[in-house]
Amino acid sequence: MARIGVTTTVPVEIILAAGHVPVDLNNIFITHPEANRMIDMAEDAGYPRNLCGWIKGLYGVVVGQKDIDTVIAVTQGDCSNTHALMETFTLAGIDTIPFAYPYDRDYDLLKLQMEKLMSSLGTDWEQVMTVKRRLDGLRGKIAELDRMTWQDNVVSGAENHLYQVCCSDFNGDATLFETQLDAFMAEAAKRNEFTEDLRIGYIGVPPIFTDLYDYMESMGARVVFNEVQRQFAMPFGIEDLVEQYRHYTYPYGVFDRIEDIQAEIERRNLDGIIHYVQSFCFRQIEDMIFRQKLDVPVLTVEGDRPGKLDARTRLRLDSFLEMLR
Amino acid sequence: MFCGLDLGSRSVKLVLLDETGVKESRVFATVDFYRQYGRRTEEGLVVDFAAIGAGGVEKVVATGYGRNTLDLAGVEVIAELKAHTKGAVWQTGLSDFTLLDLGGQDSKVIKVKKGRMVDFATNDKCAASTGRYLENMAAVLGVSLEELSSHSENPVELSATCAIFGESELIGRIIEGHSVPTLSAGVNYTIFKRIKPMLNSLHSEVLVFTGGVALGQGVRKLLAAELNSEVVVPPQPQLNGAIGCAAYAMEKRG
Ligand code: SF4
Repeated sequence: MARIGVTTTVPVEIILAAGHVPVDLNNIFITHPEANRMIDMAEDAGYPRNLCGWIKGLYGVVVGQKDIDTVIAVTQGDCSNTHALMETFTLAGIDTIPFAYPYDRDYDLLKLQMEKLMSSLGTDWEQVMTVKRRLDGLRGKIAELDRMTWQDNVVSGAENHLYQVCCSDFNGDATLFETQLDAFMAEAAKRNEFTEDLRIGYIGVPPIFTDLYDYMESMGARVVFNEVQRQFAMPFGIEDLVEQYRHYTYPYGVFDRIEDIQAEIERRNLDGIIHYVQSFCFRQIEDMIFRQKLDVPVLTVEGDRPGKLDARTRLRLDSFLEMLR
Repeated sequence: MFCGLDLGSRSVKLVLLDETGVKESRVFATVDFYRQYGRRTEEGLVVDFAAIGAGGVEKVVATGYGRNTLDLAGVEVIAELKAHTKGAVWQTGLSDFTLLDLGGQDSKVIKVKKGRMVDFATNDKCAASTGRYLENMAAVLGVSLEELSSHSENPVELSATCAIFGESELIGRIIEGHSVPTLSAGVNYTIFKRIKPMLNSLHSEVLVFTGGVALGQGVRKLLAAELNSEVVVPPQPQLNGAIGCAAYAMEKRG
């Protein structure tokens, strides 16, 4: 049983079927009490200052903590910086397995990538499908939790974010995760409805800020849609595993993401969208497209290092919420 | 009498307003303001309004960076862009326009329709189109801010992607022998270039220009020449946020 680090969502069913523990490096990094030190470690090793904090954090987690056996690095469909990240892992003596989402969503190519991963980890379709069916139940519960967020209004934006984002690795232990999820959902079902007047959607990569959701709630607004996190959770209920990962919007072009977001804006009755962009991330360019294509007001918020919202960002959020009222 | 307070990153502006207009205005350096009139208490920082001359007023409204960190007893706090929108509407009497505010460290563009903000953009962690940038460049050129801000003819080409690197680029141009007026115009032109994308995406026929930078003629003339809009500078562009707060206070009285 090895600890397999992942740089973003990959077919986690394969890692579990092979009997290994999946570890989403992003989650380790952002919840680490000394997350900023991970970044410093990468910078001390020679990582440029003007590079995304997530990439540096992942480097710091793996090289600094030394408890990850192998890293599956998504070299296509997530972030091109991962290429070089992988190379610096190799330099530091860490085993890596590349995984690429085909840009054009080609079924056969994606299937081939999955099969390559199965053979490097030592498992097969039969075992993988057994795990998949087991996870389907869990993904279904997450979909219900998401519904409780926007329809029943009893789950907060931060909770919605947290449970969905954990679906990339199910915290390394799907059984334990499910027990916690059940307990949480039972507790949430008994709550009174939240009363914030503004309904906000969050799009883009998960925030490096630690208090964004709480701050918005303190200002009378609630996030009832987390775009990428929901995609990580894959609540689609699709039989075919390859199709499931083709349906997942995040690693492919921006226009399918827009279609997904647009549908959720309608369904969840959103007043506005917060588009989070990471400093120095190529995805910032896509902001231009979101602003043109989405028909609700969009505020772009940029973060660099882990920590609380800075005064300027708070000020922009205040003004945005004020504008929506 | 109503008091508006704009707690900016570099200066704090206070205005006292009644139906006939601005009665008094004061500007403090931000650090001095907090040092002299602020007091730490259990709940946070409390401002001594009597000492700054706003004790007897009917209502105080504030905006700015202090918003969530200050406990302003008896003071209503409003969002900064709202304050600026109110100020521009009050000062110009217009209700449909794009507002450009270039302050000490911030630049903001706000689209206003029927007197309400409908969209906005602000600079993020970059001061290359603000008052601070102009002050640095004036220091490099060895001229006053007023002198620098007055030129717009034959601008020397400068890139200014960064307020700090802009200085060495400017020095390079000085060494090439360009005149101070054309160098100054070049500096003013970099400001226009940096805010142009924001102005394009939030375009209106009328542009209301506020903030300290609007006091100079250079950027104002460039905006008028380069944009397809009428440029309006209200009488007290640098006090716009504070005026907006006071106008809001007056409106709230009912
Ligand atoms: S935020 Fe952008 S630059 Fe950073 S890892 Fe993600 S995709 Fe790459």
